[in-house]
Amino acid sequence: MNALFRWLDERVDLAGLKRALLDREVPARLTWWHTLGSATLAVFLVQAVTGVVLAVYYSPSPDHAYDSVQFLNRQVGSGALLRGMHHWAASAMVVLLGAHMIRVFAVGAYKYPREINWLVGVGLFLIVMAFSFTGYLLPWDQKAYWATVVGTNIAGTTPVIGGFLVALLRGGAELGAATLARFYAIHVLWLPGLIGVLVLLHLAMVVRQGIAPRPAALERGAPPRTTDPAYAAYYRDAYAATKRAGARFWPDVLAKDAFVSLCVVVGILVLAAAFGSPLEPPADPSDTAYVPRPEWYFLPLYQLLRIVPGSLESVIAVGVPSALLIAMITLPFFDRRAARNLLHRPLAAGALVVLLGGSGLLLGAAARGAPPRIPPEVGHPLRSVESAGRALFNSQQCRTCHTVAGEGGQVGPDLTEIGLHHSPAWLHSFLEEPRRFHPTGMMPAFGPPILSHQEIEQLAQYLATLRGSAGPKAEPQYADTFPETRP
Amino acid sequence: MTPMTPNDDGQPPSPERRRTLKWLAAASAGVSALLAGVPSLRALLFPAFRRPDEKRWFKLGEISAFEAGVPTRVDIPETVTDAWVENRVVRTVWVYTEDGSTFTAYNGRCTHLGCSYRFDDAADPHYHHEPKVFHCPCHHGIFDPKTGAVLRGPPPRPLDTLPTKLEGGILFAAYENFRVGIPKKVAV
Repeated sequence: MNALFRWLDERVDLAGLKRALLDREVPARLTWWHTLGSATLAVFLVQAVTGVVLAVYYSPSPDHAYDSVQFLNRQVGSGALLRGMHHWAASAMVVLLGAHMIRVFAVGAYKYPREINWLVGVGLFLIVMAFSFTGYLLPWDQKAYWATVVGTNIAGTTPVIGGFLVALLRGGAELGAATLARFYAIHVLWLPGLIGVLVLLHLAMVVRQGIAPRPAALERGAPPRTTDPAYAAYYRDAYAATKRAGARFWPDVLAKDAFVSLCVVVGILVLAAAFGSPLEPPADPSDTAYVPRPEWYFLPLYQLLRIVPGSLESVIAVGVPSALLIAMITLPFFDRRAARNLLHRPLAAGALVVLLGGSGLLLGAAARGAPPRIPPEVGHPLRSVESAGRALFNSQQCRTCHTVAGEGGQVGPDLTEIGLHHSPAWLHSFLEEPRRFHPTGMMPAFGPPILSHQEIEQLAQYLATLRGSAGPKAEPQYADTFPETRP
Repeated sequence: MTPMTPNDDGQPPSPERRRTLKWLAAASAGVSALLAGVPSLRALLFPAFRRPDEKRWFKLGEISAFEAGVPTRVDIPETVTDAWVENRVVRTVWVYTEDGSTFTAYNGRCTHLGCSYRFDDAADPHYHHEPKVFHCPCHHGIFDPKTGAVLRGPPPRPLDTLPTKLEGGILFAAYENFRVGIPKKVAV
């Protein structure tokens, strides 16, 4: 082992690497809050590992995407767990990244000499948002499809370049095959490359500049502004003083980091095992009753859009995020006061309270305002098998011939109250081969290979929920007659 | 013969030579980037420069089918080529007539962010006080079925009307989609 180490050391200077990375001295008394950045990195690694495996099973085309996700969920060992981890880790990433940024903001760590690394961090934040926006579409289920329709339309309201932007994002006029391929490429090729470079840069700069100490260590006797010519020398001495206690990165800091990361990974695993990852019925562009809601971290913006008047819409939808972004980018260049403790920076503290409080209130309002998904023709929320049947009802164009709740064609019988008259079992047999029941009827057969038995059952379950104005609690009076039992 | 590498003759390259070498390195890198970048960029941006789809005339139905004063929803299944996938999509048109002889056809997509709106027969105390309005469930835009005007909510312009024509008692509409979320009606 030692011989191998020496052999490698002669060639790649392992000892030098160890001195520079692991043995470097760090400021004394670093807090647990300092572990947020490394916990974010740990979640990023979870995303990388689960993501490359998910990509092995995924097919980025609208006619296969949903089925490939179903296959992963149902037939691949640990497939559902893996997808669940990727899903929950995405949320964890947003939470930890947000908390890390808030800490850096609160202790003034974006100030001299870390302005550039703050900018790199803002870049990482944007990439993570782009990851979540592009990853959201990939399962090609209802939520994915409709949230992306609305999301790309919001991009379309950008002044001047809106039309260009929305066509570029979608790869065409409407959301479709080209969009899915684009989002897939961006999600698994572009963004990982980009984030890899920025993460390395972010870490390299932490190594080069050292970990930011507690704010108090850089306030005593400091010149009032970081632009003061004496500030650089002051900073050098004050920072060197924080290291005198002799704390080292390895293992003093890294042990804490690793422990917190472990807790986060365990949390993700528990959430994934307990709740899995949601998968709604396949995307159905013709489902007019679907009300899309974005992922929770976009909910504050979503709620804001609902309460502003139409004329201010594009100002808010594009303006608020842009203003926040510009504020984040310019922050280290206009805030040049040397004060770092949040208590000594009333304006910064106020801005933070307003931003967090506002987002919290909007998030709360959005959560309270969540409408139960009640299809108007059924009158109560559907079970998943029923809503899958409803999607089939729409995609098979049943309404071309049949009317439900006043909508649809007149060729076949009105189905508004079909659930009062026939049982799911009868409906299943009928859908499969209607000619057995009415030899001269016009209803086409939907048995395999048109629909699988599972799909016919979903359709039958949905139809059984249709009880018209009698309401969901009405007692059905089945009038089922099967051809075999007819005299 | 001029030495190819700076130190072949044991002398450091002259400042002029260094200048030339710097220029050569920068120009090589720049031209290489352009050669690979221009076709890549063109392919990437290509979809953003497509022309709007042509209008397509669709049969909406016999005029006797449209009740006066009550909007009628017409779903038109259409087979479209979505990049390399052939798809069945449903275009929704809402038809409104006051008198049974003049008809207004609206594109079924909300002008706010493109969701499908629906007709609410009764007042919905939560979102609108008047009965018989178009209601978009996404952000609760409310439209007047008679004129398509925005009564409430975030939509930036009235509903998009489509050209209609009557031929032998049958109503047709020319379907096209428009950009959403902006005050101007621009075809896509």
